[in-house]
Amino acid sequence: MLMGLSNVAKGASLFTAIALSLGGCATTPISNEQIAVAKSSVQRAEQNGAPELAPVEMSTARQELASAEKAAADHEALSATQWAEKANVDAQLAEATAQERRAHKAATEFDASMATLRQETQRSSQPNQ
Amino acid sequence: MKTKLLTGMGMALILGACVSMPQPNAALENARIAVQAAEADPNVNKYAALDLDVARKDLSNAENASLHHLDAEIAQSAYLATQNARLAQAHAAAKADDARVAAGQVERDQIMLAARTREADNAKLAAANSKQVADSALSQRDQANEETARVQAELDALKATPTPRGMVLTLGDVLFDTGRAELKSGASRKVDQLAQFLVEHPDRRVQIDGFTDSVGTDSYNEDLSQRRANAVRDALIARGVDSSRIGTEGYGKSYPVATNSDSGGRQLNRRVEVVIGGNNGTPISPRSGF
Repeated sequence: MLMGLSNVAKGASLFTAIALSLGGCATTPISNEQIAVAKSSVQRAEQNGAPELAPVEMSTARQELASAEKAAADHEALSATQWAEKANVDAQLAEATAQERRAHKAATEFDASMATLRQETQRSSQPNQ
Repeated sequence: MKTKLLTGMGMALILGACVSMPQPNAALENARIAVQAAEADPNVNKYAALDLDVARKDLSNAENASLHHLDAEIAQSAYLATQNARLAQAHAAAKADDARVAAGQVERDQIMLAARTREADNAKLAAANSKQVADSALSQRDQANEETARVQAELDALKATPTPRGMVLTLGDVLFDTGRAELKSGASRKVDQLAQFLVEHPDRRVQIDGFTDSVGTDSYNEDLSQRRANAVRDALIARGVDSSRIGTEGYGKSYPVATNSDSGGRQLNRRVEVVIGGNNGTPISPRSGF
């Protein structure tokens, strides 16, 4: 879903570039849309544990989103679009990194529990006498 | 291709105006390395092929921009390629761990099932063992019961009758010639049975008491009854019964079992009684009373 949005965003960015080459550094609704996409990715990352598990990526994404919003406010449409693209991908990366660390932790704990289980069954399968 | 070129030119124009970019070649090199690393990651091919496609497309955009020296687009696309490649690896690593846990859970379930099965088997085995113990006790009891029954049957075969002193087997006077103490050949079957019983039950003692009718002197009768009892004892010893287990006594005309006033009664009184003791080897009390 996000990937799709990201591709749309890229297509839109080219389109924006063309539009801008004609109109100069004007704010367009397209950059606002990209900022909205990035913002939603940042929020999703924030809700999925990225601030705790991927603080570096999360912080990068937030700064990039802020830069995109500032560029948009300054009517720098291309810059806003590019910052929004970066914020979007870094927010996704923050979320995925958090997910990766959670999965890794779960897998490590699972391995430990399996090792214990194997030891126990090995012990109990041996004769009592 | 033409539109891309056009776009690139447009981007370059704008970027030159609005954004200052880091060294594009270093960014492009980073992107190539990141995409290659993702491509070399088997988990990425398995679990994050779509992410990798996005990263490749970004890298391809950056390479195209590089051909045309569009620095700003190189930097942007290279950055996106790098981050999308990392994204692919992060997604792939998470999914690989998830898959490993899912597979492990199947194995864990199997191990736990096997453990439960083994516990059940052990319980069954324990139950079987205790049943065997119980069966064995039961069979020992049965054997003891059988033994008792067999002894009883044997005593029955000897026509022994229970008395307070023990089982009493009476050998009638037909086993002896009148006035003689030698066992007649017809006695051998009964004595054989008795001897066999005593050999099979070495814990039992035996008391052999001789009796006569009232014809003749007391001393003659006592002597005759003693000799007859001894004759039976000797026959048992000859058949393998230890002499220490055998006691003898001659009671003469004492303890008649019938009248002495007719020949039928006197015949019953001329007898040898064999008392068979209990299976604990206790001595047999001497004849007294009645």
